[in-house]
Amino acid sequence: MTELDPVIHAAARLRISATLASLEEGDRITFPRLQELLDMTAGNLSTHLRKLEDAEYVVVDKAHKGRTPVTYVALTRRGRRAFEDYTDTLRSLLGDNA
Amino acid sequence: MTTPHNDPGPSPDAVDDEPIDPAAALALIQQQNADVARQQLSGIPWILGVWGVAWGVGFLALWSGYEGGNPWFLLPLPVAGTIFGVLLVSAIVTSAVLGIRISRGVRGASGFSGAVYGFGWWAGSIAVYLLGIAFAREGASAELLSLYYPAAYGLVAGLLYFMGAALWRSVDQLVLGVIIIVASVVAPFFGAPTNNLVMALLGGGSFLVAGLVMHLNLRRGRRA
Repeated sequence: MTELDPVIHAAARLRISATLASLEEGDRITFPRLQELLDMTAGNLSTHLRKLEDAEYVVVDKAHKGRTPVTYVALTRRGRRAFEDYTDTLRSLLGDNA
Repeated sequence: MTTPHNDPGPSPDAVDDEPIDPAAALALIQQQNADVARQQLSGIPWILGVWGVAWGVGFLALWSGYEGGNPWFLLPLPVAGTIFGVLLVSAIVTSAVLGIRISRGVRGASGFSGAVYGFGWWAGSIAVYLLGIAFAREGASAELLSLYYPAAYGLVAGLLYFMGAALWRSVDQLVLGVIIIVASVVAPFFGAPTNNLVMALLGGGSFLVAGLVMHLNLRRGRRA
């Protein structure tokens, strides 16, 4: 299979997925911190997160810390697997067997 | 097709949605991983640097606080002890603050590991201190205690670097842990107060080298 997953195969979503995949499984990250690590605008990040969420690759949930709402983002198991498949496909396309 | 004069230019989203070739995609993943590592780990070389100065200067001060230590000058022991204590406490505070910054914004499974690791430092340090009190009550001499404390703290620190290496799969920390344990075990064989010189050079020196190596690795990642 050499088809690249179109949900991930776009610069912004690729960077988002890579960043979320770098977290330990079971960890989630706040929206502002993710934005900081990606250096993206909030609007742009939201747009792409929604596309990842629609594919069930990402779960976004809102919690409350006192009165301030905090938005947490994490890869789903499906999203983590999709990202791993994506990088495997990339490597095989590039003829890298490592 | 749009004509050049009314082309508003691609919107940021359109640019982001453009298909990219596989090599560029792989490079982008590697670049992003390096960026994240650099942003998350950039505090660690500072933590190591602060510990390097604390051990280096602190143990040199202690070495200069005893007769038969530093051949160039002698510090009053309370002064030497204060320098050592202040440097050690500053290093603990700095590394706690920087350490908390590393994982800011992240919640979940790794929080437990981080908390256990942090608690390990406190538990180990307090245990060493209390054991020293017990030995003193049983008549351990000041000279023996001046061998015991640095060695025992060093052993705790070295093992915690082993733990850090296991948690974060970091060979750097493993190497540092091995050197710190070797320094701690070798130092007492030189007797007091030369043991402090060994801790300063071998222990403090390796913290500084480790900090520098890590700093350079993170910078190289940025350019890759």
